Amino acid sequence: MEPLSLPAKLDSLEEIGKYVVRATTEAKLATKAAYGLRLAVDEIATNIVTHGYQEAGRCGEVTVSAALTDSSLTVVLEDGGLPFDPLSHPLPGEEYLSLPLEDRPIGGLGIFLVLKGVDAFRYERDRDQNRNIFVMNRTPDLPA
Amino acid sequence: MGFDAQLQMTGGVAKITLTGSLDAASAPLFREVIERAAAQRAGKLVLFLENLDFLASAGLQVLIFAKRTLGVNVDIYAIGGQGPVLGTLEMSGFHHSIYIQDSFADA
Repeated sequence: MEPLSLPAKLDSLEEIGKYVVRATTEAKLATKAAYGLRLAVDEIATNIVTHGYQEAGRCGEVTVSAALTDSSLTVVLEDGGLPFDPLSHPLPGEEYLSLPLEDRPIGGLGIFLVLKGVDAFRYERDRDQNRNIFVMNRTPDLPA
Repeated sequence: MGFDAQLQMTGGVAKITLTGSLDAASAPLFREVIERAAAQRAGKLVLFLENLDFLASAGLQVLIFAKRTLGVNVDIYAIGGQGPVLGTLEMSGFHHSIYIQDSFADA
């Protein structure tokens, strides 16, 4: 699919979501897998906009692209915001996940949902660009 | 996709019908509705999720905000959620603190 570049603003999340839905439809991913990928991309895009741009007082763009092969669908988010490696942050453990809501700190679930939602996730930093890479395996159609 | 949150107060029960996509862009609207319910001293929060088709962590954060704002003794119900939305709630451990049900009957 043709890459799509959008302003690094929260209002762009909807268009990014629509792009991912089109890609998962084209890839014929199962409903649960398609939802997991959309959620993962939304979480990282939110981090990019919020931490990489808004809180840093920066303006810029985020670009989403998708590549389909026989075995996988790969979606990539690229941005020129602050360097941010999602994998460098600790994930909530069972202890956190069993806490009552009133005892939980705000935040911390986004990256957890990313890793739960996709088959593989990578982060790369290339010069001044962040690249977040999401991979979903395509399950071959089973015979009827 | 869009998002909407409609509040109806009935006898101290705050019923909020959520529609569309609840992410970081739409979470502030949901938070405003929670604040309105708190201002009306809601004693119970019932969320109707049948038409909520997407729930990101920003929406989960508003649920944490709701519990803190309304008070720990105010029960929260999630009614009629779709599979993936319920999956996110359960994966995040929210089913330990929220009553997840297919339907809601006024007590």
